[in-house]
Amino acid sequence: MKNKILLFIIMSLTAIILLAGCGSNSSENKEGSSNTFTVGLEAGYPPFNWTQMDDSNHVVKLDGSAEYAGGYDVEIAKKIADGLGKELVIVKTEWDGLVPALTSGKIDAIIAGMSPTEKRKETIDFSDNYYKSNLVMVVKKGGKYENATSIQDFNGAKVSAQLNTFHYSVIDQIKGVEKQPAMDNFTAMRVALESGVMDGYVSERPEAISASAANENFAMVEFSDGFETSEDDTAIAVGLQKGSELTKKINEILAGISEEDRNSMMDAAIMNQPAAK
Amino acid sequence: MSFEWVVIIIQENWPMFLRGAGMTLLISLVGTIIGTIIGLLIGVIRTIPIPEHGAKKGMLKVLNAILSIYIEFFRGTPMIVQAMVIYYGSALAFGMDMDRIAAAIFIVSINTGAYMAEIVRGGIVSIDKGQFEAAHAIGMNHFQTMMNVVLPQTFRNILPATGNQFVINIKDTSVLNVISVSELFFQTKSIAGNNFRYFESFFVASILYLIMTFTVTRILRFVEKRMDGPDNYDLIKIGTNSRGEKI
Repeated sequence: MKNKILLFIIMSLTAIILLAGCGSNSSENKEGSSNTFTVGLEAGYPPFNWTQMDDSNHVVKLDGSAEYAGGYDVEIAKKIADGLGKELVIVKTEWDGLVPALTSGKIDAIIAGMSPTEKRKETIDFSDNYYKSNLVMVVKKGGKYENATSIQDFNGAKVSAQLNTFHYSVIDQIKGVEKQPAMDNFTAMRVALESGVMDGYVSERPEAISASAANENFAMVEFSDGFETSEDDTAIAVGLQKGSELTKKINEILAGISEEDRNSMMDAAIMNQPAAK
Repeated sequence: MSFEWVVIIIQENWPMFLRGAGMTLLISLVGTIIGTIIGLLIGVIRTIPIPEHGAKKGMLKVLNAILSIYIEFFRGTPMIVQAMVIYYGSALAFGMDMDRIAAAIFIVSINTGAYMAEIVRGGIVSIDKGQFEAAHAIGMNHFQTMMNVVLPQTFRNILPATGNQFVINIKDTSVLNVISVSELFFQTKSIAGNNFRYFESFFVASILYLIMTFTVTRILRFVEKRMDGPDNYDLIKIGTNSRGEKI
């Protein structure tokens, strides 16, 4: 009995020490004065960003993890960090955690294939665009929608897109479409598509190319009569804190990257992504 | 879904899977232990008999009210919401920069603590009233009664529920990726995002989750058995002593 009480006391003390540790544990990533440029991204959205285990293709090590992040976003982040003369730190964060992480100062910038929409601009600032893409649909290969040319061909189809993205709101432009509930992430949508729960999901061209290249069951549908989108939606920009002093500097750095450079960086990213062999 | 793909995915990504599983296990294990301790402490405090009058009465009432608010709040809101509010909220409101993993353990601990407080209370209430009276009759105060009489029995009785909570924690840590914790679910998502083989990748993850939860429940069952002791007692052991005499 004595031993048990002793054990209990020791365990309580450990708990108190651990809990106390939580409060004072301030890590290194503070905005402003420090020498690091901390970037948040999902590391699960190739070719924009992905996770890999080795350090091939000049990838960047993820903060607090043994893995590495690669992709178009990471290349852009490296260029920006170089331009700012700061050390690049990449934090792998779930999509829904990116904006709160930025507003609370856990990260300095979001470089995660995020489009500068009006709604997001109410909460955070954006830099100039660093990529612009077209909207396409990813469908099952051999299905009846594979050869669609107009978005109106998806009359009666079950279509979804990622939650909190403009991909989801443009679905309303298809007449008679069976709009499905929005999904949390691309992983879930690809599972739903492969299992036949839905007929297609709206995506951007690079994501669709890599999805159809990696899994032979998927096909990309490009439209001659496509979705009407605003410039703000199809473009991708760096998300920054409201009134951040970084915005101007980052815009200058991005202006120095030519359209050709961007395309070749994107091509390299699509080639290097760790898709299934 | 094909079996070869499962093998290939395991071969190519096993370090990521294992690191994810390790993170999941670390957070849920530490969280459950701290949560159980919080639960035991709250259980003891909440069962202190409230005296008729005096300053102690008021203090206990206030303390009980605070503990009730704590329990209701953390039992009544989802862990993902708590993670968002605590991790990002503390940075926004107080400029506190919590370590991700410490924050994750903290969130799981206080969440588990709220559930365990009620489980412990149930365990304490289930002990026969006569035992409290007997302990008081021989002059023990509340804490002596708890430490020497009630809690050892309570601890045995709440073990199955603690195991339940542990299993729930192993599964629920999958929401902590919103605060950048790379647990098993998030790692699997990244792996699947790379290879576009969703069923196969998540199939591997499901096996890993199952191994973790199954091992935990077996270990706890073993601990329960050990605490129970043997089913039958031989009051006098018949045998021989060192000199060969029959005893």
